[in-house]
Amino acid sequence: MTNLLWTMFHVLVFPGVLFCVVIGVLLAGLDRKLVARMQNRVGPPLLQPWYDFLKCCGKETIIPRHARRSLFLAAPVLGFAALITVALFVPVLSCSTYSTSADLVVILYLLTVVGVSMIVGAAASGSPFAGVGLSREMVAMISYELPFVLVILAVGRMAGATTPLGVTFSLQAIVDWQAANGSMLFHWSMIPAALAMLFVIPCEIGMHPFDIAEAETEICEGTLAEYSGPPAGLFRLTHCVKMYIMCALFCAMFLGGISTGYAALDALVVVVLSVVITFVTMSVPHAVCARFKVEQVFKFYWTVVAGLALISLILVWLGL
Amino acid sequence: MYDFMYHFPVLAIMVLFLGAFIASLVGRRNAVIRNAVVLIAMVTSLVLILSLVKPILLEGQTITYWLSNWEPVGDWAIGISLEVDALSLFFALIVVVAVFVSGVYSFFYMDRDDSLVNYYTLFSMLSGSVLGLVLSGDLFNMFVMIEIMTFTAVALTAFRNTYEGALEGAFKYLVVGSLGSTSVLIGIALIYSQMHTLNLAQLAAMLPGYDSPVTIIAFAFLFVGFGSKAFLFPFHPLAADAHAVAPASISLMISGVLTKCGVYGIIRLAYTVYQNVDVNVMNALKSVCNPMNANFVQYFITGVGVVTMFICVTMAFNQHNFKRLLAFHSISQVGYVITVIGLGSALGLSAGLFHAMNHTIFKGLLFLTAGAVQHATGSLDLDELGGLSKKMPGTCALFLIGAASISGLPPFNGFASKWMIYQAAFQKAGETGNFFFVVVCVAALITSVLTLASFIKVAQSVFFGQLNPKFAKTREVSLGMRIPMWILAILCVVTGLFPDKVQQWLLAPATSAAMNAAGYIDAAMGQGYAASFSIPSFQPQSIFLSGAWQPVMWLLLLVSVTLAVCIVALLGSDDKAPAISETNTDTPADPKYESFFSGEASVYSQVGGSDLFWGFKHNWRHYFSFMHNWHSGVVNDYTLYGAAAIAVALVLCVIFL
Repeated sequence: MTNLLWTMFHVLVFPGVLFCVVIGVLLAGLDRKLVARMQNRVGPPLLQPWYDFLKCCGKETIIPRHARRSLFLAAPVLGFAALITVALFVPVLSCSTYSTSADLVVILYLLTVVGVSMIVGAAASGSPFAGVGLSREMVAMISYELPFVLVILAVGRMAGATTPLGVTFSLQAIVDWQAANGSMLFHWSMIPAALAMLFVIPCEIGMHPFDIAEAETEICEGTLAEYSGPPAGLFRLTHCVKMYIMCALFCAMFLGGISTGYAALDALVVVVLSVVITFVTMSVPHAVCARFKVEQVFKFYWTVVAGLALISLILVWLGL
Repeated sequence: MYDFMYHFPVLAIMVLFLGAFIASLVGRRNAVIRNAVVLIAMVTSLVLILSLVKPILLEGQTITYWLSNWEPVGDWAIGISLEVDALSLFFALIVVVAVFVSGVYSFFYMDRDDSLVNYYTLFSMLSGSVLGLVLSGDLFNMFVMIEIMTFTAVALTAFRNTYEGALEGAFKYLVVGSLGSTSVLIGIALIYSQMHTLNLAQLAAMLPGYDSPVTIIAFAFLFVGFGSKAFLFPFHPLAADAHAVAPASISLMISGVLTKCGVYGIIRLAYTVYQNVDVNVMNALKSVCNPMNANFVQYFITGVGVVTMFICVTMAFNQHNFKRLLAFHSISQVGYVITVIGLGSALGLSAGLFHAMNHTIFKGLLFLTAGAVQHATGSLDLDELGGLSKKMPGTCALFLIGAASISGLPPFNGFASKWMIYQAAFQKAGETGNFFFVVVCVAALITSVLTLASFIKVAQSVFFGQLNPKFAKTREVSLGMRIPMWILAILCVVTGLFPDKVQQWLLAPATSAAMNAAGYIDAAMGQGYAASFSIPSFQPQSIFLSGAWQPVMWLLLLVSVTLAVCIVALLGSDDKAPAISETNTDTPADPKYESFFSGEASVYSQVGGSDLFWGFKHNWRHYFSFMHNWHSGVVNDYTLYGAAAIAVALVLCVIFL
């Protein structure tokens, strides 16, 4: 019974729904505020994403005639649920709920499920704008997948080199290795991979210079074009939570091992680190760059970013 | 095991052939009797093979059956034999289940065709020959079964000969398929000239110690021959042409069963007969010092697999025909199987067998949904179809399950096996320290996301988007067609949720059997025969996973999170979700409420299926135009590629072995 209660607690409070939503909303709000300040605007209040969500929840849900009703409504829920499941697997520094069954490939695929649920929802809406949006979303997914995979393999080799198998995919093993040998980021051969991962984060989330799938000015928010009411709010919330998840994943992969010994304090450290990562990877590019073209995103990720990750992978493979 | 069970393998093959003959005798008059005969034959063979699961897969016994009781005399096994170990039975299980599903589907799917007696006769012969191939204990019978299989498959491909390209597809399959069969025959002839026997067990005892260039050349011929039956690169264009025109039930057979015969042949050849795949973990560990020390055959098989899976998945991006696209994906997935088989580790072989099994399940499901779409609308053109999810919700759900499985999304079976594949490749890289296997791992992961993209394209082009007015009267297919699809869909979920049980009951015995050459020899030739040829006895290997994945726990988490989200969502708002247009779908549309923002009247504006991923294809335009020219569709060219494959395989094997 206590086991069940603990599971409920993990799913609903920490590190599940409540924690993710709170931190995600704060990060998204902070991002908007920072971008506004950099562009010499006042910007919305910090909790604006939360107000947006609440407002969406109070609105009517309109289902277009061409839509496939059940999928159209189920997609946001499924995507959000898959994302929260990722949150349960990603260790918050030393503290993680289900880390023994956490695996980088599984996390990669769960993040894919989040993207796919958005795509399926868009497809089910039947709108041509959503059709264009989902195709772009898919191109973005192909784009960041290659560098992401290369980073995962580099990290897996680095952490697994001393094990009998020579490699590992287990997130727990990676965190343990960092606790013993210092963070990944402080091994010089992993710095290109860390840079590549920092580039992967905004594209995975769909932040501004890489938000080809949602380009408001061209295709009316693409995948979200037909969504209204609570489902739209849930998609926006998913977007916020994804910001936190990706930052936490970066911390686990590259900044693990800096534990304070207290779970609450660890969580706080991760939050602070997330803010820094958000500022570096999302706010600054958002404020300075114009949106990429579709084919530019693909080219950028498969040459520059994948190249960075590949350098690390080769260096690690050479034992450096 | 009871004594009478020794007859089960041969009976299972015989009932299918008998079904073929009886159906052709009685079926011309009465369709019901004909269908009953075919059904009884299929069910009987299914039951016979299933009853062998306990003694062979779970208790690890091996059945050796000598036809007419021609047992080996004086160490020479001349008689025809069936040898059923766990590996054979594993593939036999795949075959009988796929045959059963395909057969039941045919009863409803083929209802508008005539001269069905020919169809069922050929279908039963095809099934019997495939089952005979995987259960056969000697090389020449494998060849005979390959011939029956190829010719019945060719005839069935052209069964709907009124379709555009049906005869062309069948003709290509016939010509290039014959090239593959000939290659197998030459290999067999070369082996027979050297060894004077064709019994697999005896060959397995004699070949590894027999150092002759002739048997190495024979290996190259046999590998290319079996590879052509699995449509490996460069034989993959055949599959596309054949699948596009074949009836969907036959597409299931070709992709789910015939390609498995090629896979089975390669495993049997490389692991049991030649034993030239390095199955010993200790050797692999030793080669850490010298990365180039790993076995050439492993690189060769893995390389062919990687090239196949990558080229085929990119080819699928350019397809406009639903089933052509599925055909390329089918070969791409077989590429995965071949890739990991080449790794030569216990984990790799398990992953390969698992993926082979899953491939039959999800690919069969996808071909059947394509057949359902074709049956309901009469079209397979991705640029023309659209919006069918409202007309065929059941088929749409089935398609999404199949698409999620093949794209490797958790918690379906495609993820479970692909996850093992990544680990097998990455562990091999870690053990040998060889960068080649890292490239293999990356290629496998990228192929997976490209597969996903391709299926998003199909989903968007066929089931979502706007309904083409042409298909406004489309109806959902009958229950008889949906039940076989649901069987496969349930299998997708079950094998995805309980991979550890599948591993324990099916994969582990089959893997051990494939690696246990000594056991295979002794079962046929008598105890101690393998030892007399100094074939090392089998050391069971345990499998280490470098990651962790607990699908059931994950599913529980997902369900609880979904519930939590739903509760929060329900508490947070009065989610009535009124659909304004649901009530007045029949009345003329008020342009104001169309699903366009601008308020203009809706026109049918399907985003062209082939142009869906413009941003991706634009960057690869040189590659795609090269591929486009290369797949010329001319049978002369394809024959040339086949001949070139044989030549390259010969040269490589002679140089490196």
